[in-house]
Amino acid sequence: MKFSVFQVSRKGGRVKNEDRMGYCYTRESGLFVLADGMGGHPEGEVAAQLALQTIAALYQREARPTLKDVKTFLASSVMAAHQQIMRYASNKAMLDTPRTTVVAAVLQGNTATWIHCGDSRLYVVREGQLLMRTRDHSHAERPRPNATSEPVNRNLLLTCLGSPSTPLFEVSAPLTLQQGDRLMLCSDGLWGVMDDLLLVRSLSTGKVSDAAPELVEMALRRGGPTGDNVTMIAIEWQTPDVPGADAGVSTDSISDDVFASTIQAGMPADGEIDDLDDDAIERSIAEINEAIRRSAASRKS
Amino acid sequence: MSKVKPSPLLPDTVIGGYRVVRRLSAGGFGVVYLAVDASGQQVAIKEYLPSSLATRGTGELAPQVPPEKLSLYRLGLKSFFEEGRSLAQISHASVVSVLNFFRENETVYMVMNFLDGATLQDFIVTARDLKKAKVFRESTIRSLFDEILRGLRVVHQHKMLHLDIKPANIFVTEDDRAVMIDFGAAREVLSKEGNFIRPMYTPGFAAPEMYRRDSSMGPWTDIYAIGACMYACMHGYPPNDAPQRIEKDRLGLSLSRLRGVYSDDLIEVVEWCMSLDPLSRPQSVFALQKELSREGERRYTKLSVGEKMRLSLDNMRSYEKKSLPKAVAPTTRPA
Repeated sequence: MKFSVFQVSRKGGRVKNEDRMGYCYTRESGLFVLADGMGGHPEGEVAAQLALQTIAALYQREARPTLKDVKTFLASSVMAAHQQIMRYASNKAMLDTPRTTVVAAVLQGNTATWIHCGDSRLYVVREGQLLMRTRDHSHAERPRPNATSEPVNRNLLLTCLGSPSTPLFEVSAPLTLQQGDRLMLCSDGLWGVMDDLLLVRSLSTGKVSDAAPELVEMALRRGGPTGDNVTMIAIEWQTPDVPGADAGVSTDSISDDVFASTIQAGMPADGEIDDLDDDAIERSIAEINEAIRRSAASRKS
Repeated sequence: MSKVKPSPLLPDTVIGGYRVVRRLSAGGFGVVYLAVDASGQQVAIKEYLPSSLATRGTGELAPQVPPEKLSLYRLGLKSFFEEGRSLAQISHASVVSVLNFFRENETVYMVMNFLDGATLQDFIVTARDLKKAKVFRESTIRSLFDEILRGLRVVHQHKMLHLDIKPANIFVTEDDRAVMIDFGAAREVLSKEGNFIRPMYTPGFAAPEMYRRDSSMGPWTDIYAIGACMYACMHGYPPNDAPQRIEKDRLGLSLSRLRGVYSDDLIEVVEWCMSLDPLSRPQSVFALQKELSREGERRYTKLSVGEKMRLSLDNMRSYEKKSLPKAVAPTTRPA
């Protein structure tokens, strides 16, 4: 497997950067994740970081060196990330939970499969044309039978990780990749300030390692002094071996059990992964019974 | 591929200190039993036993899960916990209450209040068979749904959607309370594609967005189902399912047959709840309650003689064609 990857995250005009990104790979599989911690709720950057760590840790455990079932992995790891965030909030007895969007893609064999929740996007560009992109879980992109052009608040998300209501997410069908296909994961700080046409054109111009930073600079300029965090991961599939091209990542040379990752573990709740073992089941049951007791008590009083 | 359903526990099996009396119902996610506790109190116990993932021989206790299905089984278990967690937080007369939650036989059990009475579905079928112009009186419908909506409002306040409201999931107790049961669908929010556990829905009562399984679900999705339940209480039959309606919408026509029998106000409420566009429905239970409880003279549209003739001809024709649709709308999974 061979690809070029470029990732960058910039704070823009905001006080802090609540976006997180990263990728990891084994000899035969690659994972790319991006999360945009949400404002308006506490510790968005923690939610984003937890999402990355959880998904990456599960990936490390299961990609040996490939994932057996990519779709199941994506769905269950995103749910696990959600539960990690909820657990973090509950351990800290937080009144409001930290929240984040997430988009994650797995490249394996010659296919790409992705999942997203919220308004962080994945774009696929082939031969300079937009092949597809994810549809946000926002009021703006909510499918409606009678589409009207009335203005809607694009910042209003319908779902995210860390919300008390179980997250909704979509897993894509596997897409067979062709040499030179470019995939981009990005936060709304990037796509929110330019239209898809410009975005696709910029992304497909020149080498990925030039196009990607140029795109981010453009977004920062357009975002202005109060602009949002801008984060992206751009990937080119099977960069051809021509002189002057990016060296890229070739996973073929690494041995079977090597796992490479840009995602650093160990920030808040240290990487305890909820795979619902016996302890987790007992804990859930105890929690539910505690809630039953509390409701029963409040009913009597 | 024919699939053998896992066997339910046999009567007199003791689980968690409760003795199983008989099986009450079975769905895709598990089996519900009538059981009694040590003091003889009747309870309903829901057993996590997903029929597509687990097997169990007659008389056996622990379900068998093939290794390749274990991760999905665990994922489903999480949903089962979510249902328990959510229901445990809700304490409302119109929402079934959870009494206990325990683990045994390598699966988990949720103990709920046993409700004595019958489902709204049973009442509709009985009332319909009387062949009167009205299935239920308007005042009955209004007070029934007032009660249900109070409960549903609390459910939504807990950031939860029911997602399978239908007459068969509304219980009317012997002491005349309406109680929503079976929140099993509420948490089965997984992917549209792939080999995941698919969410269940009931044709006729499921809003169009339930079929798409996208993120446009919200309180309005349950409100569509409420409208469909009211329709069933007025007509005696469930409305056409959403895909049929999208192709050719006969809702207005079939509601017009109820003009003069029920007030225009009630008919309009049903039409509002059942708008195909989620944004055109009441966006919250509160908005619907407000409309439903509005005081004032009810308006009725009298039908002209010509209209009555046409309606009765229509009725005759549609009965010939359909020869009575199925009484009970089955819960199905999308193909």
